[in-house]
Amino acid sequence: MVNIVAINLLAIIRDRVFHGILVVALLFLLIPSISSLSMRQVTELSITLSLSLLSFILLLLSISLGATSLWKDIERRYTYSVLSLPLDRGTFLVGKFVSVTLFLLLATFVMGAVACAMIWLSSGIYPSERPIVWWNLVACIGADVLKYTVLVAYAFLFSTLSTSFFLPIFGTISVFLAGNATQQAYDYVHSQAAKTLPALVKNAASFLYYLLPNFSAFDLKVNAIYGIPLTAKALYLPVLYFCIYTSLLIIAATAIFSRSEMK
Amino acid sequence: MKLPRPLYVILPLLMASYLLVVFALADYMKNKPFLEKLGYIPSVNTMKVLAADHKQFLSSSLMLKVIMYYGGLVDKGSNSLLVPADYPAMSRTIDAALKLDPYNIDCYYFAQAILPWDVGRADLANRFLEYGMTYRTWDWSLPFYAGFNYAYFMKDYANAARLYRRAAELSGNDMFMNLAGRYMQRSGKTEMAIAYLDLMARSARQSALRKSLGIRRDAFLAVLTIEKARDAYQQKNGKLPGSVDDLVQAGLLHGVPHDPYGGTFYLRNDGSVNSTSGFSFEGGKK
Repeated sequence: MVNIVAINLLAIIRDRVFHGILVVALLFLLIPSISSLSMRQVTELSITLSLSLLSFILLLLSISLGATSLWKDIERRYTYSVLSLPLDRGTFLVGKFVSVTLFLLLATFVMGAVACAMIWLSSGIYPSERPIVWWNLVACIGADVLKYTVLVAYAFLFSTLSTSFFLPIFGTISVFLAGNATQQAYDYVHSQAAKTLPALVKNAASFLYYLLPNFSAFDLKVNAIYGIPLTAKALYLPVLYFCIYTSLLIIAATAIFSRSEMK
Repeated sequence: MKLPRPLYVILPLLMASYLLVVFALADYMKNKPFLEKLGYIPSVNTMKVLAADHKQFLSSSLMLKVIMYYGGLVDKGSNSLLVPADYPAMSRTIDAALKLDPYNIDCYYFAQAILPWDVGRADLANRFLEYGMTYRTWDWSLPFYAGFNYAYFMKDYANAARLYRRAAELSGNDMFMNLAGRYMQRSGKTEMAIAYLDLMARSARQSALRKSLGIRRDAFLAVLTIEKARDAYQQKNGKLPGSVDDLVQAGLLHGVPHDPYGGTFYLRNDGSVNSTSGFSFEGGKK
């Protein structure tokens, strides 16, 4: 298992897609100059831009690594030689998932450090009226990693369902969009404005709300940008939710992968 | 690598055409009507869904769009507008930016800088500001701006007093405390202003501030004395007195009270009490 993780981690670092994404990360260097365009919230704007860029890069990484990791190996027929070794398929899949997750964590750590440096630089240009709450910033970035790990788990699940390229990529993008909208849809359906909606639609919306991932729970950007205090519930509930939800997804993916026939 | 012969002709042609088109395109984009540049933005609900976790980013970019649009209109030399700005489109964009990120102070600041002065819509600016106060609960600048709009543009002194008091509570700034007291008096709530100033003066830690609040309280105590005499006069005679002297002559006042700011008290047409000092030392010197 450790070997699988190590080999995959090295493969990801050597990957050309990753190098392309590194170029996107150069945009971090522009953040202080763009932030200075703001009239009253230069520091807040630098935090907004840093967090958005970090989140965007993590999204690209999750889709490119999560959705193509299994598919590439099957396409290149690596899987067959690996699976001929005394190793069960479940360990292989979990090993690959752990390596992608570890890579996300590593990338976040490096980019998070660069983002913090840029925010610190920007706050020197125009100090904020509100002090920067660095702990909130760390919590927000941590929550982002959890969110994208759930997305990677979905990408793996889709990869086990179909060996083609399309379902994992577009399925993951759809889950990302839907996961960010579920809370809003649920709030709307249960508001006064949607009083006239049929009960069937409301129930269907509620069902989807509980089934699909709730990415809004991992969005702590407002707390990080404006230094709004975080409650304990806002931290431990998403963490628990993440642990259970991801485990379920990976168990499902392993079960499907173990039973699937490889041609 | 050797290029096929036709390309030697086609490539320079393409390059020349590109240069022609790119400058024409840049010129077109530069002179594109502002309404088109700023006018259309998708509905807020659509943006909220599509923005995923980038709502604050989208809000900031909308605001930067407005700032750049407005900046492009202002002639830097004279600081006056070259062409009339599309204010409704700007208000719509600010509204959308605030729905995406109600904490964005740039939106409030810009709305306050433009809407009451250039568009004559202090009410709209205050609607934005009051909305912002429910989010930026720590920020004294929003009630300060809104209080100013109420007092200066809308002559709604009761609301001005309420907001200045909030700004004073949030910032601990003596200027707001004094203004709040002044507007409470002008809203016909002199006793409330006296109680408020009294409380503030007692809790003020700086002696200069305590003194300043005390002077204002003394002035309002004098106003209150005149107001009580005025009410007694009206009850007795069924009409408002013409001046403060009428009250002295009627025996309701022992003399015209002294204004600590150096002005002279007088009655407005509606019977409310004011001073030539306007309750400031600068006013008293005039």
